[in-house]
Order: sequence, then C-alpha cells, then structure tokens
Amino acid sequence: MNGTRCSANVFSVLLSGLLGPLALVLAAIWPGQAMAIPLFNRQTGQNCVACHAGGQFPELTPYGRLFKMTGYTIGERTVPVSVMALASYVKAANTSKSDDPSADFARNESAIFATASLFLGGKVTDNIGGFVQITYDNYATRGDDGKFHGHTQADNIDLRYADRFIDERRDLIVGVSVNNNPSVSDPWNTAPAWMQYVPVPSPSAYQFIDGASPYPGYASGGNIAGITAYAFWNRTIYAEIGGYGTSKGWSSFMSSGLDNASTTKLQGINPYWRLAWNHEWGPHSLMVGTAGMNAKIYDDPLNTSDPSTLHHFRNWSIDSQYQYLLDPHAVTAQLVYARQRHRYPDFLAGQPSAFVDAQGNPLPNSGDEDTTNLVRAKLSYVYEARYGGSLSFFNLSGNTNTALQTSGYDPTSLTITSDPTAQAPSTRVNGTLAGNPGTRGFTYELFWTPIQYMRLGAQYTAYSRFNGASDNYDGFGRNARDNNALFVYLWTAY
Amino acid sequence: MRNAPSIVAAAKLSCLAMLGVATAVMPGCANPSRSRDVSNPQVEATTLARQVCSNCHGISGNSVSPNFPNLAAQTPEYLVAQLKGFRSHDRRDPAGFEYMWGLSRKLTDQQIEGLASYYAGQTLAPSQAAAPSQMLAAGKAVFEEGVPAKNVPACTSCHGASGMGNGSFPRIAGQHADYVVKQLMVFQRTHERAGGLAMEAVAHDLSRDDIESVATYVQSMGRL
Repeated sequence: MNGTRCSANVFSVLLSGLLGPLALVLAAIWPGQAMAIPLFNRQTGQNCVACHAGGQFPELTPYGRLFKMTGYTIGERTVPVSVMALASYVKAANTSKSDDPSADFARNESAIFATASLFLGGKVTDNIGGFVQITYDNYATRGDDGKFHGHTQADNIDLRYADRFIDERRDLIVGVSVNNNPSVSDPWNTAPAWMQYVPVPSPSAYQFIDGASPYPGYASGGNIAGITAYAFWNRTIYAEIGGYGTSKGWSSFMSSGLDNASTTKLQGINPYWRLAWNHEWGPHSLMVGTAGMNAKIYDDPLNTSDPSTLHHFRNWSIDSQYQYLLDPHAVTAQLVYARQRHRYPDFLAGQPSAFVDAQGNPLPNSGDEDTTNLVRAKLSYVYEARYGGSLSFFNLSGNTNTALQTSGYDPTSLTITSDPTAQAPSTRVNGTLAGNPGTRGFTYELFWTPIQYMRLGAQYTAYSRFNGASDNYDGFGRNARDNNALFVYLWTAY
Repeated sequence: MRNAPSIVAAAKLSCLAMLGVATAVMPGCANPSRSRDVSNPQVEATTLARQVCSNCHGISGNSVSPNFPNLAAQTPEYLVAQLKGFRSHDRRDPAGFEYMWGLSRKLTDQQIEGLASYYAGQTLAPSQAAAPSQMLAAGKAVFEEGVPAKNVPACTSCHGASGMGNGSFPRIAGQHADYVVKQLMVFQRTHERAGGLAMEAVAHDLSRDDIESVATYVQSMGRL
C-alpha cells in the first residue's frame, strides 16, 4: 500500500506539475484541433471521424484500422502528448438493501472527477510508432479509514514496427507489436481489450455501471509484457501470433505504477493468437474472427518458485463486427462469444467450504476447474458524429463451484452474516450465495458530442441476473435489479 | 524494506518516462520508398498514393466506400486544384476539412502534380450498382439537357458529352452517386468549394429528385 501511494504521488506531481502547463501550451498552439487521442489528430491533421466510427471511441473505421496496423506512422511527427479526463455521476437503483450503504455505495449520487489519462506516442520513424496510455484513477483504492486514494499506472501500451508492401498486385502489411495487454494490438473493437464502453471510471468508484459488467477479457489481464507479430494480406486476412510473460527487467515499464505484489506473474511464455477475415464493400465492412490465449499464472505474485501453485487458463473466442459508415451515418454491430477454462492448482482444488447449508451440513468440496461462457453484443449508431446511442447485451454463465461462493451460512450461527468476527462471514452486495458467476443484462447509452473534444453521455445498465441469481444473490436479500445503475459522464480530451 | 515496492514502482515509472523522452527525441529514420510521411518532400507521389491515399481511395483510385470519391482517370488539372484547395483551406466542405486538410498541408507542388498524374493515368472500374431505369432516364435527361424550365444547363456543356471532364472541369462519369449528391448539396447550400461559383449557380435550382437522379445516372455512366 505504501508503494502504491508513493508512486501515485510521483505521478500526481508529474500530472499536475508538468502536464497542466503543457496542456495549456498545446491548447495555445493548436486551437480548435482537438480530437480523440489528439496527438494522432495533430499527426495526420485529420478529424476524429477519419479513424473513429462516427467519432465514437474506441471503435475504429477501416482507415483507422490501417492507421493502427501501419504502426501509427501515417502523417508527420508531432508533440507526442495528449491528455484526457473524465467526470461522472452514478445513481444505483436501490442502496437500501445493505446494512452499510455508506460503505457499499460510497460514491453513489455524487459527481466525481473519476480518471485522467496521459497519452504518449504517435509516429516516431517511417516504421515505428506507438500508443502509450497512463491512467490516473482518483478512486483506485480505499483505505481502512474509508477514504479513497488516487493511483497512477500504465494503462494500454502498444509500440510497433510496421511495414507495408503495396502495389497494384498485392497489399501486405506486416508488423511487430510490443504491448502489455493481450489483444490491445488488435485492430477490431470486438477484441477483449477494446470491446468496452468508453469512458468508464474504476469499479471501486462505481460498481454496477457497464464498465463493471462482464467483458470478454483474457485471464492474464493487462500489465504483462508481450511481443506479437502480425500480417494483413490484401485487406482480407489478418493473422497475429505472440507470447506474453511477466513484466520485468527491460519490460518492467509495461506494469509501471504497479508494485510487485499487484503485478501478474506468468510462468514462461504464454501464447496468444488471432485470425480474422475482413471484407469491405461499398460503405460496409465485415469481420469474422477467432482468438485465444493460454496462460499459466502464479497464485501468489510474490512466490514464483513453485509451479504447483499455477492457475492454468485457456481463453478462446469467436467474434464478428459489421460497420456501415456513410456520412452522416455510422452503424457498428459487434458480437463476441468467449469461453474460458480455469484449472486450479492442486492445493486449491477439492477444498472444503467455510460455509454450510441452512441445516448446518457441509457443502461439497470445491471443484478443480471452472468454465465460463460469455456472450456480448453491441449495436451503436451515431449521426453526424454528434448524436449517438447504443444498446448492448451481456450474458456471463458458468459452472457453480463452492470455491466461488462468497456468501453462505455461517457454521456457528447457521445464519448469513456479514459480521467480520463470524467464523464464515459473508459478503453483502458483491457476494455470491450461489457460487456462480452468472450475470446478465443490457446497457443503453445516449451521448452528445457538441464539440469534438468533449462528450456528454448517459448510460443505464439493467441486470436481470447478478452473481448467479436474479433474487437474493448475496444472501442478504439483494436482487439483481437493485444494481441497475444510471451513469452520467463528461469526457474531455486534448 | 517497507519501501521496496515503491522503489520498484518508481523504477518502472522511470523506464516509462525515459521511453517517452527517447520517443520524442529519436531521429526520424526515413524509409522513403515505403514511407507514410506526408511532410517529407523526398517521398515520391506514387509512394504516398500507395501507402496513404490508397487507404480510402483504393490502390488505383477506385474507392470501395462511396464516402470517398473515385480518383481514377480524373483530370489532372482538377486534382491539382483540389489538393491545393485543401492545402490552402480554400476548399472547406466537411469531406475536405475532415479528411484532406491535414494530409495535404505539407505536400509540395511537385508531390501534388505527381499525385494528379498518378490518378489521371489509372483506369476507372465501372460501377456495378443497380438503379431503377426510370431514375436513370430522368438523370440522363438532366445530364444531357439540363432542366430548361429552371434554366439549369446540361452537365455535358462543361463535363463533356460522356462526362469525362475537361481540364479543370472534373470527370464525373463513374463517380459514386453518394459523393455526387453530397457535393451538389455543398454547391447548392454553401460557398465552401473554392472556384465553385459556376456550380453554385447550376445547383441552385436543382430539386432533390434532380440531384439524386443525375447522380445515379452519372455513377452508371462507365458501364452503359
């Protein structure tokens, strides 16, 4: 915790002391030319709609995908810095079903400055470019005193070398990406790293907005170190293969801002692959693809000496994205099916549960592996790159496992209690009585982009199932729909 | 030892900061034969056409998306005038400033002439888009005869009998109908196109039906 605070302070100083004046200088130099990742805007001189579908982020247009695949090298070198900030407000449907609402819904119904990001990158040489995002989360952690603490750490990092061999007969883009998040290098927005609503504050600030809903992520998460090689042939076939390992030594910057105990520790090189078919006709484009990753992750980041403590993950997904882009209309439809198999290390498998059933009988021992399936679909429309809306559906399902159970009957009192002194205390609000991850719902969003460096949006997430049940999912009477939440945000970038 | 994690985190941050500094000061290693640098006068026009322009306009100037005009077989005079108009911001319709101002801002006259020559020498692929015959007939009438009742002249009078263009009058035969409609609307409603006075007068009295039918006909011209 100490280390976290210290690094946060270092970066806070950087952010406030260095970037504030820098942003003002930038504002003076480039009036009226601020877009999403404005450093790319300054590099190409183009409007945000050139690369982002209807100007919404992060969805890329066919041109935006090519810009990325050619290593962010189109245009000219410019000041390689941009900044982004987010202010937001959330109202959850029901905060009464909690015996300590001030703790469980601390930021509910209050406007907050949520996050800020610093972007570095852009074109470096004719073949080298990059995208580095460093994010400050104002509500990253919460101390024992109930106060939130800000924290700064590396977000997405994607450094590239790319070349393109193109003439009348063939078009081949090849490249290498050094990055810290599997699929962050992917040019389509159904990739786990990119199929997300932007912006979102951290889950510790707001628990039930879409950003906290299930997304098709890789088990390894981000802040690891990887190298991938990719090729895009005749704008039709995309293939990428790579490997990821622990961020350390030369690659330790991939997990900047994270202390050792918070850094994911992988054993050896963990393979990642991606294959996609792309077709463009008229104003339409369609991609159908598949991707996957195997990861071996140490149970304790501070103990990487014992291979018997490894968790084995297999992630696999199929995804598809359709776009219709013809000014003033921008339509994007996305569909992802993602499957994850998680095999526990032996010392965690077949373990007795701390909880008992309502009669006091022991529960089954924990399983040795879990499988989850996630379906996520999103449809968005933007008019004149100014007025937009989207609808998305998510359904996470998986097996039941007593190891996942965070609520249950205490063996001593035969009640479900959150008393921390109980033999088996239960988790209210975020707990699962079923020991099942099942979560399902919809997210609706409307937004307005009055000027291109500012977006005002409202998002509503409605749950029909949460942590394995529709009703009383936490054992304290809380229902899935009690978590429905309205999220209003103001996003700015320069 | 309590401070050990913070030292680790600070070291990582230092690495990242150094990386950022290195990125900013790194000399620009040029690879002019396959460069996408639109500010380097050493990069040949053909290279820019292939590495940059092809992303939207196609390798041979035949664009897949109607959001972007076909450039193949366009008159070089028109292409030069448009690129210079983007560069000087004299052409300021949305399609122009959103996509083209930035890419053209550092082009040299020589590169602009090279790009014009590259596209003028390409072959325009005929559009395969289907259209109702009634609409094509109405568009053909506007194209060949204008709209006499509104004193709208025939397109042929400047763009040529087969719409192939002539000098600064662009080729319109085979152009995307959506692009033609949008540009006619720009002429009709705005003064955003440099040198567009003649077309502003022509488009002023065209009805929406006239515009859509003539654009549809123009698009079909390459294959009729």
